[in-house]
Amino acid sequence: MEYLYGIIIIVGLYVILASSFNLIIGYGGLISIAHPVFFALGAYASAVLSRDFGIPVPLAMLAGMLVAFVSSIALALPSLRVSGDYLLIASIGFQLGVLEVIKNLRFTGGPGGFTNIPPFLIRDLGRESYVLLVMVVMIAVVLLVQWIARSDYGRAMSAMRDDELAFASVGRDAMWMKIAIFALGSGIAGVAGALYAHYFRFIAPEQFEILQSAAILTMVVVGGMRTTWGPVVGALLLEAVPQAITFLQLPPSVLGPIQGLLFTGLVLVFMFFRPQGLVPAVDVWRAPQARAGKAEEFRP
Amino acid sequence: MSVVLTVNGLQKSFGGIVVARDVNLTLHRGRIVGLIGPNGAGKTSLFNLITGVVKPDAGAVVLDGESLNTLKFHQRIRRGLSRTWQNIRLFPSLPVIDNLLVATHDYPGERLVNILFRRTRLRAHNKAARDKAMDVLGKMGLAGVADDRVVDLPYGQQKLIGVARALMGDAKCLLLDEPMAGVEGQSYAAMQRVVREVAEHGVAVCVVEHNVAFIRDLCDEGVFMFSGAIMARGSVAELIRDPQLTELYFGH
Repeated sequence: MEYLYGIIIIVGLYVILASSFNLIIGYGGLISIAHPVFFALGAYASAVLSRDFGIPVPLAMLAGMLVAFVSSIALALPSLRVSGDYLLIASIGFQLGVLEVIKNLRFTGGPGGFTNIPPFLIRDLGRESYVLLVMVVMIAVVLLVQWIARSDYGRAMSAMRDDELAFASVGRDAMWMKIAIFALGSGIAGVAGALYAHYFRFIAPEQFEILQSAAILTMVVVGGMRTTWGPVVGALLLEAVPQAITFLQLPPSVLGPIQGLLFTGLVLVFMFFRPQGLVPAVDVWRAPQARAGKAEEFRP
Repeated sequence: MSVVLTVNGLQKSFGGIVVARDVNLTLHRGRIVGLIGPNGAGKTSLFNLITGVVKPDAGAVVLDGESLNTLKFHQRIRRGLSRTWQNIRLFPSLPVIDNLLVATHDYPGERLVNILFRRTRLRAHNKAARDKAMDVLGKMGLAGVADDRVVDLPYGQQKLIGVARALMGDAKCLLLDEPMAGVEGQSYAAMQRVVREVAEHGVAVCVVEHNVAFIRDLCDEGVFMFSGAIMARGSVAELIRDPQLTELYFGH
C-alpha cells in the first residue's frame, strides 16, 4: 500500500505542477523552464525551516510557497521588463544557478541532499490522510486555474497573448499581468515542493534538474495547453509510463536517459502530429454567461 | 476652443531616416483634424510618438495640461489618449463584445486580487461595461455580431470594431490611423457618423487618411505632412487646392 500511496502522491504533485505550469506557459504565454526550481525552493524552504528552526510544518509549507512566490518575482521583474524572450534565458540561468547554490551550501545538505525532514499528518492520522491532503490541494489548484482562465482575468490573458501592442493600446499593463501569472504559478509549484518534502522526507538537488523541466513541459504539451484537463491527463500519462518502465528492472544508468528520450521524443511526435495535445483547446475565449449557450464551443 | 493635446518640437530619426522634424501640433476639444500626406511622410510615426509606442529623440507631448513624456504607452492611454491601428489589430481569440470589454478605461479583471476577492465590484463593473459596449456596437449597427468571432467578419466591420474598441476608454483625444482604408458601403457611412458624434461629445480627433472625400466631408481642418515635417495647416479645401502640396503628395 505504501508504494501505491507514494505513486498517488507523486501523480497528484505532478498534476499540481503541470496545471500551474499551464497557467504560466499556456494561458500566460510565458516561456520559462524554471518550474522545477520553484518546486525545489518550496521543498527546501519548508524542510529547512521545519527541521532546523522548529517551525510547525503547516507554517513552513506556507513559507515554502512564499519563498517560491517571491523569488519568481525577483526572476520575472528584470527579465520581463526587457522583453518576454529574455525570461527563457534568465530561467535557464536561474535553474542552474539555484541548484548550484543548493549543492554548495551547508544548511541545505549540499549535493548529498537534505534528510530527516519532519513528517506531517502521517504519524498521527496515517498515510491516507496525507494522500487526501495532496488530492484536496490538487483539485483546488486545477479548479483555481480553470476559474482564473474563465474569469475576466482569462479574457485579459487571451488578449495579451493575441497582441501585446494592441493590449497596451487599450490601456492594459501586460508586464504586471505576466509577473502576477508567473508568481502565482511558481508559488503553487512551491506548495507542491513543500508537500513533497514532508511526505518523502528526503530531497536532493538532482531531483530538480533540467529533466524535470522537460517532464513538466511534456505533460502540458502532450496533455493540451490552455485546457483544464490537458495537464491532468498529461501528468497521469507521463507518470504512468515511467512507472511501467521501472518494472522492466533496467539499471538506473539506463533508466534515466530512457526517460529523457521518452519525454523529448513525445514532445517532438506531438509537435508534428497533434500540436494541440490530447485535449485540444478551442481558439475562442468566451465568458461564462456567453458560454452557457455555446457549451460545446469552448471548454478551457 | 480649449486645447486638449499639444505636441512640441517632436524629433525622431531612425539612423538617417527622419520620421519627425520639429513637429508642433495642437488638437482642440470637439474638432476633427485630418492628417494628410504621401506614404512615408511620418503620419503613423507621429501617432506612435504621441502615444509612446516609440520614444522621441526630443520634444514633448502634453494632454490636458499634463505632460506624458515619462509615461509608457498603456499609461498614456489611461490618461485619456486613444488610438486605432492601420492594420486593425483586434484580438482574434476574443468574440467581438469581449474585444470591447477588455478595453474599458478601468478593467478590474486585470488584477488577480479583484478576481479572487472583490467579486461585487467586478460584477458591477461588468454590467456597466457590457451595457456600454452594446451601446457603442449599436451605434455602428453591429449589435447583431456581438458574439461573433472577429475573424469571421468582413473587413469593413472589423475596422469599425477597431474604432469601437478605441471608444471604450472614454478618451479625451482619439487618433484614427486610416479608418477608411478598405471600408465601403454601410460601414463607410457608419464610420463617418460615429467619428462625427465622438467629436460632438467633445473629443479631440485626429485622422490619418488617404480618402480625400472622407477627409473633406468630415474634418474641420487639415494638416499636411511631408518627410517628417508639417508643411501646412488650414482648411482641407485649401490644402487640396495648393499646387505645391499636390506635387509633394503625388511626387514628380
